[in-house]
Amino acid sequence: MMEAVAEQSSVYLQDFQARDRSAEPAWWATRREAAMQRFEAAGFPGRKVEAWKQTRLGNVTQDHFRPAQVPGTLSNEAAANLAVVEDAVRIVMVDGVLDTERSELERLPDGVRVRTLAAALDEDGGVAEQHLARHADAEPHPFLALNTAFATQGVVIEVVSGAAPEQPLELVSVMTAESTGVAAWPRVLIHAATSSEFTVVQRHEGSDGAAYLTAPVTEVIADANSVVNLFHYASEGDKGSHLGVIHTTLDRDSQLNAHAMHAGGQRLRTDFYVNLDGPGASANLNGLYLVRNGQFSDVHTWVRHNADHCTSEQLVKGVLDGKAESVFDGLIQVAKGAQKTDAGQENRNLLLSPKGIAHSNPRLEIYADDVKCGHGSTVGQLDENAVFYMRTRGISDQEARGVLTFAFANEMLDDMALPSLQAYEREALLSLLPGEEAVRKLL
Amino acid sequence: MALLEIRNLHAEIEGEEILKGINLTLEVGQVHAIMGPNGSGKSTLAKVIAGDAAYEVTEGEVLLDGKDVLEMEPEERAREGLFLGFQYPVEIPGVSNTYFLRAAANAVRKHRGEPEVDAAQFLRHVRERMELVQMDEALLKRPVNSGFSGGEKKRNEIFQMAVLEPRLAILDETDSGLDIDALRTVSHGVNSLRSPERGFLLITHYQRLLNYIVPDTVHVMVDGRIVKSGGKELAVELEESGYALFEENSAA
Ligand SMILES: Nc1ncnc2c1ncn2[C@@H]1O[C@H](COP(=O)(O)OP(=O)(O)O)[C@@H](O)[C@H]1O
Ligand SMILES: [Mg+2]
Repeated sequence: MMEAVAEQSSVYLQDFQARDRSAEPAWWATRREAAMQRFEAAGFPGRKVEAWKQTRLGNVTQDHFRPAQVPGTLSNEAAANLAVVEDAVRIVMVDGVLDTERSELERLPDGVRVRTLAAALDEDGGVAEQHLARHADAEPHPFLALNTAFATQGVVIEVVSGAAPEQPLELVSVMTAESTGVAAWPRVLIHAATSSEFTVVQRHEGSDGAAYLTAPVTEVIADANSVVNLFHYASEGDKGSHLGVIHTTLDRDSQLNAHAMHAGGQRLRTDFYVNLDGPGASANLNGLYLVRNGQFSDVHTWVRHNADHCTSEQLVKGVLDGKAESVFDGLIQVAKGAQKTDAGQENRNLLLSPKGIAHSNPRLEIYADDVKCGHGSTVGQLDENAVFYMRTRGISDQEARGVLTFAFANEMLDDMALPSLQAYEREALLSLLPGEEAVRKLL
Repeated sequence: MALLEIRNLHAEIEGEEILKGINLTLEVGQVHAIMGPNGSGKSTLAKVIAGDAAYEVTEGEVLLDGKDVLEMEPEERAREGLFLGFQYPVEIPGVSNTYFLRAAANAVRKHRGEPEVDAAQFLRHVRERMELVQMDEALLKRPVNSGFSGGEKKRNEIFQMAVLEPRLAILDETDSGLDIDALRTVSHGVNSLRSPERGFLLITHYQRLLNYIVPDTVHVMVDGRIVKSGGKELAVELEESGYALFEENSAA
């Protein structure tokens, strides 16, 4: 009997059991074991699991990814791109390992406390014990469970009550060309205390050629009346997989402004959970995914109105080039009693080639009666009338298509509060477009 | 050499023949009007000349300054000096009018081997042209035709024409749906641009336009053919008798 069980256990469970976890506080050990058990019980999702049926996991479920023993070396390009956000305080991870040399944990603005995950775990009764893996882990998500089971690298961020530091925090996670077979489990916990305001940027950059897995989990706990501005950017390598979770819990009158971009990578999925738990909370999610030939991108949103008078707005656009595939799966759930909910969701997809496939699944579950909910979803190609119109003015076919595509996608970048990141994201967009030079003149 | 020479032009869409042998010669400096009932093929003719790939030309020739335009891409035709004012101008969200005009003007200049327009100079030119069609400057910053009223869209077509200064302008029902004020402005725009170096082909459904823009020649188009051509008095005649007479002629 015992042997049979051992045979069936996953390589991840075997790794988990083999690790020396003696230094872990008991509360953390308990949460980790629970997560490992959740993963072990469910395994990797097959095609029958509703939330994963359109996600192309490919080699991720067969190959075995392990944390890097020693992180690889940064390419010149990656090193040059470490600092994107102007005036930000940077924290850098390389191949899933915190790079203390390149991080600026000493240079923090007033009102923000940032510690490494390891340091935060040492504190009795602190923010980690109070919040870490206590919100996100309610979700049945295999990579979230693995992250909780394996994460040793990451940061815990606390924003003091009433503080509004102007400097953003920029968390950069780089996967190097040497990261084939590497698993990165970055873990970030953000606690924004009452009436605080804070901006954080998370950038994930991967090298082409390396077959790695990165499964970052970010938990945000926004206390009453706080504002959290969250920017998420992922540009993974052409063999890289990114399966991440952003989980936010919003107390009364708090505000989440989130902007996410999938700029490229073999396989990307982000699950964005938003729990509007206190009256008057609001969440604004806007996202853009660019899916290149042969790549896959998946955005799942889970917006739950659990209290009255909350608002949520989701606008997510996608551009698919060549034989690309995307999923947008967006939930708006309005609990019984969440009256005066105002929720909107829109997903618009532009296929640059007839070979592209964009799945768009709005899901509305509404259990309250006095609510305003709207949703829309489109999948289409460029308006040929507009292309012709531009051509009759002397603009070339390629230029017209480039300009129209840019205009479609740029709506998601237009209102970004961080100009330096906006410029960086625009470059990613431009690199996808035909007639790039002409489009630049639009800027 | 004529500015525009159309010889025995046949064109079809989805296998249905719409243009059934059009012949037309327009000398430089002239204004011609084409009138005809709905569905007679006027817009088809305009779009075929401009190069809309939805239509297939099965026979005939279209020469602009002696050059075969049917061999050219739409953008090449534009760069050779052809302008089409659309019956239904297209909205282009996210692309500002200013950018659009500058891109168009530069495309022509590049084609002629001239350097790109100087931004300040171009803006002066654009302002001058806005006055000509009494267009609100705020529209410059707005995306092309997005949220424009019907009249604003038509004005914008004339404005673009005035900025780009084409050799041949084809205006497809630019007068339709305009109030008298707008019609006067549009006509004023066209009249100011009339020149010995330029030609106009005005497609219209209503004789009223020709009270403001006096054409050299009027053509009547019915069922894909030009069934009669004459002086400006032909328009008046049409207004009185209608197209029925010509429709019978063409069926015969
Ligand atoms: N895209 C199209 N597909 C099918 N038929 C078309 C299309 N465009 C025009 N037609 C047909 O061609 C004929 C001429 O149309 P059009 O050129 O728009 O006429 P006009 O401008 O004189 O009103 C009409 O019978 C119309 O139904
Ligand atoms: Mg017409």
